[in-house]
Amino acid sequence: MIEENPNEIKSAEIIVGIPSYNEADLISYPTKIASEGLIKYFGDKNSVIINCDNHSADGTKEAFMGTPTEVPKVYLSTPPGVKGKGNNFKNLFRKACELSAEAIVVVDADLKSITPRWIKNLGQPLFEDFGFVAPLYVRHKYDGTITNNIAYPMLRSIYGRRVRQPIGGDFGFSGNLSEIYLKQNMWESAISQFGIDIWMTTTAITNNISICQSFMGRPKIHKPKDPSAALGPMFSQVVGTIFDLMIQDTDFWKEIKWSKPTAIFGFGLGEIEMPPAVDVNVERLHQNFLEGMNKHSELLGLLLSEDIYKKLNEIKTLSFTNFELPANLWAMILTHFAVAYKNKVVERTNIMEALIPLYFGRTCSFVLESEPMTTQQAEEMIEEQCIIFERDKPYLLKKWLE
Amino acid sequence: MDKNKVLIVDDEEVILMLYKEELEEEGYDVITTSDGYKLLEKIDTEKPDLVLLDIKMAEYNGLDLLQDIRKQFYNIPVILCSAYSSFKGDLKSIAADYYVVKSSDLSELKQKIKMALEGRHSAE
Repeated sequence: MIEENPNEIKSAEIIVGIPSYNEADLISYPTKIASEGLIKYFGDKNSVIINCDNHSADGTKEAFMGTPTEVPKVYLSTPPGVKGKGNNFKNLFRKACELSAEAIVVVDADLKSITPRWIKNLGQPLFEDFGFVAPLYVRHKYDGTITNNIAYPMLRSIYGRRVRQPIGGDFGFSGNLSEIYLKQNMWESAISQFGIDIWMTTTAITNNISICQSFMGRPKIHKPKDPSAALGPMFSQVVGTIFDLMIQDTDFWKEIKWSKPTAIFGFGLGEIEMPPAVDVNVERLHQNFLEGMNKHSELLGLLLSEDIYKKLNEIKTLSFTNFELPANLWAMILTHFAVAYKNKVVERTNIMEALIPLYFGRTCSFVLESEPMTTQQAEEMIEEQCIIFERDKPYLLKKWLE
Repeated sequence: MDKNKVLIVDDEEVILMLYKEELEEEGYDVITTSDGYKLLEKIDTEKPDLVLLDIKMAEYNGLDLLQDIRKQFYNIPVILCSAYSSFKGDLKSIAADYYVVKSSDLSELKQKIKMALEGRHSAE
């Protein structure tokens, strides 16, 4: 681990961590706001802001260290060539343990909507009864499609806890949980990359850490991603981590039925600001679905049951305007993929690759169906989808244990 | 096996009577109250397995009562019942286990009660 600690900070009660890779243009803003939040709400505590970076070549370190702040700063980096958000978090966990921190708040380096209050709301519950704090913010109905169609419904139905933003990127966790994270023996590739967020949330649940969701008041505004264009390796890393954790934690989740709400912190912030629109190229999603179905046709026949495969081929013939890949079918598809992944029916990378076009299909269907809906109506649709996942869990368990 | 105890909180007498009768027929031990001020005390003494909570009461806001319940009795399943679906838009409502719009057909409510109790017992 590379470290620059000009103030020779040796202990801190609270840390704000900012993971990054090539965020020179944007990192100054969350750094400045983090300092303001720490001074305003945790002025009686020793604090430090830590940038955990992937040895960015664009001047991220200089932008971070050069931001004027009242709170001291530390720069950490993976060695040159070592990338991954999870690797940045691992360095942060180590440093948090070394500094004997009680509370660690993490915010994304590209955040444009962060306020000092976010630092309070993610940090304060950690000095009360909670060990893990997930964010709660209003997002545009097309923002967070992996969250809405996979991470949230799967986490909720499998582990029985409703954490609405399990991969929100902005978290709070205790020093004690940092130690637990470091002791886990699952520091494999997906977790060292984008799998880290779902891994942290799930690990908090399976270690019976007290969890709350903290209301941020403002929507998350960051670099938006069109799900048809900017999926990249993130999909496979997040979903692969969900499947890996299902394998590891079967004994924890197999008896759980339905789901429980999670405690809320931070209401009373006044009027809720609505999120900006996210553009989605829905025709491209449809096209990606059709192309992927053709490309992986043989493999899909192997991974899915006959009736599901038949249904998918029927859906393939629907026109764009009538296109629909319904939530109940989507829940069954994920069940079969999870089981195939566990049983290593074929190479796991091939399994994940075959799932991507079906995810495009589900996202396309979700966008078309929710197009005339308000944010709230779309939210209700996501809740209904979650109930379907929960209702189908006995089927998942049966297949899983076969 | 002991019956599950359900506490119904509503300020309409007719709703309390209807729900009590229907849920007793389903095999639940039902207690009722229209007194929001003493709700936490009631939960503490009666130890219900589940709370059915009206949102729009003349003297109380069910969503505020829900926050109070959650601070003290985190694990009790709470189902919000309302004549209006508009309160689903209030983020405070997500602290409830389920949200049911009031109807003369109680089948959805009965199903959600069953789910909430199963969920609670499976997590114990």
